[in-house]
Amino acid sequence: MATILIIEDDDIMLKAIRNILTKSGYIVITAKDGKEAFEQLDNSEYDIVITDLMMPYANGLEVVSRLRSDSTKRHVSIIVVSSVGNEETITEAFRLGADDYLKKPIMAGELLIRIKKLLDSRTNNNKLVTKKK
Amino acid sequence: MFSDLTNLIYSAYEQFSYLPLFIEIAIVFIYVAIIATISAYCVIMYKRWQAYVYEKRLAFISPKIEEMITEQVLLNENLEKLPVDEIQFDQAALNDVAFKHKWVRQAIIDILIQYRRNFRGEVGELLRKLYLDMGLTKEADDKLKNIRWEVQIKALTELTRMDISISDVTILPLTNSQKPELRAAARNAYVQLSKNEPFKFFDIATEPLLPWDQLELFKIITTTKDIPIPNFSRWVSYSENKSIVSFCLKLIAHYDQQTAIPAVMGLLMNKDHYFRADAINCLGKLSAEVAEPKMLDIYNTQPLNCQLEILKAFGRIASGKHLEFLKNEFLYSYNFDIRMNAARSLIKHNTPISRAMVQEILETAEDEAKLIIKHCQNPLIK
Repeated sequence: MATILIIEDDDIMLKAIRNILTKSGYIVITAKDGKEAFEQLDNSEYDIVITDLMMPYANGLEVVSRLRSDSTKRHVSIIVVSSVGNEETITEAFRLGADDYLKKPIMAGELLIRIKKLLDSRTNNNKLVTKKK
Repeated sequence: MFSDLTNLIYSAYEQFSYLPLFIEIAIVFIYVAIIATISAYCVIMYKRWQAYVYEKRLAFISPKIEEMITEQVLLNENLEKLPVDEIQFDQAALNDVAFKHKWVRQAIIDILIQYRRNFRGEVGELLRKLYLDMGLTKEADDKLKNIRWEVQIKALTELTRMDISISDVTILPLTNSQKPELRAAARNAYVQLSKNEPFKFFDIATEPLLPWDQLELFKIITTTKDIPIPNFSRWVSYSENKSIVSFCLKLIAHYDQQTAIPAVMGLLMNKDHYFRADAINCLGKLSAEVAEPKMLDIYNTQPLNCQLEILKAFGRIASGKHLEFLKNEFLYSYNFDIRMNAARSLIKHNTPISRAMVQEILETAEDEAKLIIKHCQNPLIK
């Protein structure tokens, strides 16, 4: 069962994504801002992090950057979900290491498919690494 | 006790009438000020108390509303099985007694709007269906009939967010309201909600489309999906509203409506020079080579803003037919802006002849001209 961390300051969106993902069988942990997210990331292991961009204390890009610079958490897949849709921010998110970017308003079905694809590609990568060894 | 108080007031009044006039006025002022301060303080306290009570009630009801939306929409079992139109909600949940109060219905609307801001696709459509099935359009209809313009704007925002169309009879008069805020909101809503003729309000608009509203409307028109784009030359030819014509010129240039060129050229003889400048700008952006001879003809009789637009247009069209004219304007004009724009247009042509011409100027002209050319050649300077 995959564990997902959702970082989102909009309470309604946070609850909505949590409900959708829980219904789909994932274990979901939530954080309301960057500070809380860092605490959660230090305490537990996650398969996927879904993060907003504009948040108090630390923004989504900082979360992406910190995850990618930490050798123990580099493997975590990151999906950015934000209402910011300008090219500069999207490319910056990908440049820092985000695996996917969804612009709000999102489609629930699309989010689930993207999560599944990321998890599948992670499983395939792990199999390849084991085979090589 | 009561008679003592009456006696006190009576004696005070008796004494008051014997006081000098300026003391009487001062006393009256003091009492008025005290009463006004106390009243203002009471109003502030009352408003704060009202807000506190509302917050408390909202904190109590919000989880219930969110739970209902989660169960009926987000976790709806039929969402993946049936088309959205065929999904039926649990009527018992929708008809909960708590959801009958007016303020609760408003809270439901606000939360639904927040959800719609975050979700599109089937979830977004189901949120819209929930809004309709709960009869929340009635609240918006009531608000549209309200005499306060802030309330009417709120209704327009609600209906736009929920993608509920509004009848022309209701919304068209609002697009021409004398209150600029309401007018702008109604026009934005009309463009987003009208499926067939989103620009119909251009026909009846007598109130101006303010520059900021133009910017907002332009953003909505260019970002709204599946909006039917008409030929804007229709309003360029017939509208008597100058701001509408000016806005249509921008849209013609944006959508590169080549068929509008004859209508735009008609504006070159307009009495208003701001209009003419807008039309010349539009022709330049459309690369209307056919308009070049006309622009050249009128050049000498135009005010500076129109002359600058003509020079810019020659650079955008870059037909190469007026290089000599641009060179002469650059070399012999006394106006710095004209020289600058002529040089820019000359460089923009970027053909062997224009490049040779620029080179010749660089070799033979005086220092100031060389400096202008070099400045205009710098790609980092826009």
